[in-house]
Amino acid sequence: MKPDAEFEDTDLLRSIEESGVGFRVASSLLMLVILGAWVIFSRQILQGLGVTGLNQPVAWGFYIVNFVFFIGISHAGTLISAILRLSQAEWRRPITRMAEVITVVVLAIGGFHPVLDLGRPERMLNIFTAGRLQSPLLWDVSSITAYFMASTVYLYIPMIPDIALLRDRGTRPRWLYTFLAWGWQGTPRQHAVLERAVSILMVLVIPIAVSVHTVISYIFAMTLQPGWHSTIFGPYFVVGAIFSGIAALLMVMIVLRRIFHLERYLKQIHFDYLSRLLLIMSLLWFYFTFSEYLTAFFGSEPSEMRVFFYKVTGPYAPFFWGMVICNFVIPVIILSFRRTRTIPGIFIASILVVIGMWLERLNIVVPSLANPRLELATGYYIPSLVEWAMFAGGIATFILGFVVFARFFPLISVWEIQEGRELSVAETSERLESYLPDPAPASSSTVEGGG
Amino acid sequence: MTRWGMVIDLERCTGCGACMAACHQENNLAAVGEEECARDRGFYWLRLLRQVSGSGSNLTVRYLPQLCVQCDDPPCVKVCPVHATYLGEEGIVGQIYSRCIGCRYCMAACPYNAKVFNWYAPDRPGELERGVNPDVSLRPKGVVEKCTFCHHRIVKAREEARIAGRELQDGDVIPACAESCPAQAIEFGDLEDPDSRVSRLAHSSRAFQLLHDLGTAPKVYYLAEMERGRDEA
Amino acid sequence: MASRGVPRWIFYLQVASMLWMWVFVLGISGWIIHLLGLSRRLHDVPSASVGISIVAIPVFLMGAAILTYVFVGLQRGRKAEGEHER
Repeated sequence: MKPDAEFEDTDLLRSIEESGVGFRVASSLLMLVILGAWVIFSRQILQGLGVTGLNQPVAWGFYIVNFVFFIGISHAGTLISAILRLSQAEWRRPITRMAEVITVVVLAIGGFHPVLDLGRPERMLNIFTAGRLQSPLLWDVSSITAYFMASTVYLYIPMIPDIALLRDRGTRPRWLYTFLAWGWQGTPRQHAVLERAVSILMVLVIPIAVSVHTVISYIFAMTLQPGWHSTIFGPYFVVGAIFSGIAALLMVMIVLRRIFHLERYLKQIHFDYLSRLLLIMSLLWFYFTFSEYLTAFFGSEPSEMRVFFYKVTGPYAPFFWGMVICNFVIPVIILSFRRTRTIPGIFIASILVVIGMWLERLNIVVPSLANPRLELATGYYIPSLVEWAMFAGGIATFILGFVVFARFFPLISVWEIQEGRELSVAETSERLESYLPDPAPASSSTVEGGG
Repeated sequence: MTRWGMVIDLERCTGCGACMAACHQENNLAAVGEEECARDRGFYWLRLLRQVSGSGSNLTVRYLPQLCVQCDDPPCVKVCPVHATYLGEEGIVGQIYSRCIGCRYCMAACPYNAKVFNWYAPDRPGELERGVNPDVSLRPKGVVEKCTFCHHRIVKAREEARIAGRELQDGDVIPACAESCPAQAIEFGDLEDPDSRVSRLAHSSRAFQLLHDLGTAPKVYYLAEMERGRDEA
Repeated sequence: MASRGVPRWIFYLQVASMLWMWVFVLGISGWIIHLLGLSRRLHDVPSASVGISIVAIPVFLMGAAILTYVFVGLQRGRKAEGEHER
């Protein structure tokens, strides 16, 4: 990295160096929403979970739905960033930073949701003193903590050269960037250290990420409830998480591109490739969903069928079919044809997928609880103001996370773009040439004509 | 080793609900009120499942008093993250109220929906406040609870037997529900004792367990009504 | 302030944050081992507990090791005073 050469990517630093009213207004508004959510939540702390819409038998609702939803989105970042780095896909360069930020922010939000759901949150420390590793909830605690640590490290280490850049440009607060830059000077030895660490992490992070959502699915799959006790849940949740993650990433990319004028960096081709991945995940998601429901339907087991019909034709039909339309029907149509695979089209498809995946979490949690085996009457669940407020608060926290991040750090990895310009073009051509057949061995007998 | 069990004779059960009322009183269950019940927050350790079939003059109503069936392989114990619900030595699935964090995973996991949750701080209006049973602990808001087979009565009966200088005998321990049933449909005792009433009744040809094929190994047996013969589970 | 030569107090803060990170990671590892002991005393299913410990503890330790490797590596890779860039 040449710090003294003309620096073409100054507009990547604009969000940091020219932040002003926009940042203050946005962050204040968001903090107001979050504060409002907490004020409403205080009713739950004071009076108990009775203020929610939860009841007997639907003991889990929005908090658990949002827990699974937010953690699902976390697969955007690290998984995509790690897999694209691992497969040496050069088009990942402007994307990985945003993806990694999504993961960290969303894990913090999602990981906190079970605490919101506790009847006695002040006793949460019992998990540390009396926790039972036999319980899927404890598996959850371990894997989410591991993933949070790994993804924070995976976000931070590749950020070091950019932080050093900001330090060298004298950006305030100077002490923060000096502290975080860890003495980076861009020497070859330092580059070697960084590259080795990143290459270990990108491999390590993938099984951790896969384990996180698998373990979350085990919370449901390890019970005996109809609609939950299914072996497909592990892979189903991972596929769904990657699916919702890519959609969230696309949404974030499109919005930030517009707000911070990143059109030079996030080009049509990036969206083209990512949206093709989204299309593939949509088809894959449909395949898993179809398998799951066909198996239940064909088996005709009474308690499974009650849950099945509750979703397909019963009170949850709007949410179930809404999910299918949002996750599969419309996105596949939009993303399959080049004419509709424009940035606005991709934006619509991504929003629908995010909504559809949220509906999927709802369809998993509530119907099985509302149709218990012994119950002769079906349960119901209507979320209350407190639950809606915390949902809004969670989304506001997500946006705030980005707003704050963009204020202090570049959203696109400056040094990796620079590295792409300087090194990757040559590296990639070399690699491509190695794919082509080797030259024929020189024959000693007949000679061909010249050249 | 004692293993406590219960047998409920459905042929005798009239669906009067005295067992529910006795259980509420004995175990200091909160009175949730009409409004909460309408929101599907009915609070009970023992409830009457009711099945209505036929119509007009062919109308039949069947009752089944359902409580925590005290599984020997309890799904709720498997999933509790803090060991607040546990399988005791004598077979009773216990609940440590002071450790429960209120995550309600056990409620989601129980195939019988036997556990209830204190959505608000328990209310005991008027007379109920004065009529609290001192042998049973009061639960705070935000914890899960369920039938304990009137464990406090077991402890008391043991004490009395020890004072009298004899062993605990069949019939010494009577839970509140069994005591209150006017049709004497509920029997309670030691399943490990081959001579106890519950042991003999549990081996009757009319005996069945709820959701038997889930493998939870419940210790509450039901005796099927005789006109129908063998009941579907 | 030149980019070479980090102020002393920032360097101490960096080292302190590294130590704090190790406290955290060793704490988590210790906690998992504590839960492992608890599950043995309670006669829980051993497979789940042991499985988690075998997987989770190395993951945390590796994360901490990588961070330490990067920090130490970056400090050692700095140019010495007066040395010019390559």
